[in-house]
Amino acid sequence: MLRRIFAWLLAIVAGVILGGASAWATLKFGAASFTEHYGRWVHSRAAGSTAAGPYTRAIIARDGLLALSAREALYFSIYKDEQGRPLSESCIYNVAGLPLDARWWSLTLYADDNFLAQNTDNAHSIDASRLGNDRAWSARISPVRGDAASWVSSRAARRGFSLTLRVYNPQRDFHPDEASLPTLTTVSCAGDPS
Amino acid sequence: MNWGRYVLSALIVAALAHFALIFATPRVLMHVAMDRITGGAENVWRLGDRVTATSRQIVRPSPDFAYSACTFDLTQGPVVITATPWDAYWSLSLYAANSDNFFVIDDREAHYGAELTVVRSGTAHPEGASMIVESPSVRGIALIRRLAPTPSAYDAAKAVAGEDICASVARLAG
Repeated sequence: MLRRIFAWLLAIVAGVILGGASAWATLKFGAASFTEHYGRWVHSRAAGSTAAGPYTRAIIARDGLLALSAREALYFSIYKDEQGRPLSESCIYNVAGLPLDARWWSLTLYADDNFLAQNTDNAHSIDASRLGNDRAWSARISPVRGDAASWVSSRAARRGFSLTLRVYNPQRDFHPDEASLPTLTTVSCAGDPS
Repeated sequence: MNWGRYVLSALIVAALAHFALIFATPRVLMHVAMDRITGGAENVWRLGDRVTATSRQIVRPSPDFAYSACTFDLTQGPVVITATPWDAYWSLSLYAANSDNFFVIDDREAHYGAELTVVRSGTAHPEGASMIVESPSVRGIALIRRLAPTPSAYDAAKAVAGEDICASVARLAG
């Protein structure tokens, strides 16, 4: 009798652990099932959508709670360099873009915990109100500004940070593709042979 | 002992736990967000501090915006929400308890600001209200984003935000 009770308890506990682990894995790695890729930029049209399914809604709530629907804003994120390595504070990057067919854009750096990097440089983002949306632009992503005219600080962002491009009020004919989105290139990394 | 039924039971419990967690995640995160960004207060706007590295209430905040948030609660009836206009981009968005962004209006559509009456979906609409929005849930979050990428712009947005209204119709009538 005692053995049978123990077996039932074990089955329930194992089920809860298995269900919890599979839900966690889904939330952590499931975004790939509904995201679109433009080169290295990752985008989800389902952000904030009332038509999102339960999995999409849960994953977006975890990574981007209170996102606006695609009608108002589009979100694109980049996590990797040209060689597929996670973006790292120990590297210097250059990001360059062209005018976007939208009213306003911004580019913000987030550490791997989805919050701003823990630095006091007051250089977490750049945006169209400062760089304009009528000409080509470029900015440096690095731990120190140096001689960069436009700069996003990666100090204390460690390894695995991301850049999020927000595109507000996209025009009706705005169709994102690799060519229209900004280009991120690695300038150098600490430890690289010079 | 027949192990098959125990394995089957474990799999059924796993499936139930899995779906329960997926279903609950956005609702729990919204509940936490309501507590964090408005301090548990309902039907009142709260202007967030300027976004810095110490801002950790909501994931992926934009340092270019001044955010005002209101947890609306329709338990006592409709809630009036207004957004005062701002001289750069601004938007007013509403989020249901499951995190869906079910309504948004911006300065292109509302040059002179917005005034909404939010009612629970399926309930009677109050007479005389200019713009009625049906909420799929009793509670939710209203969020105003005002483009303010500099400290001086944030200070100006702060002054404007003081004129926004988030209050139940019953309270306004009283």
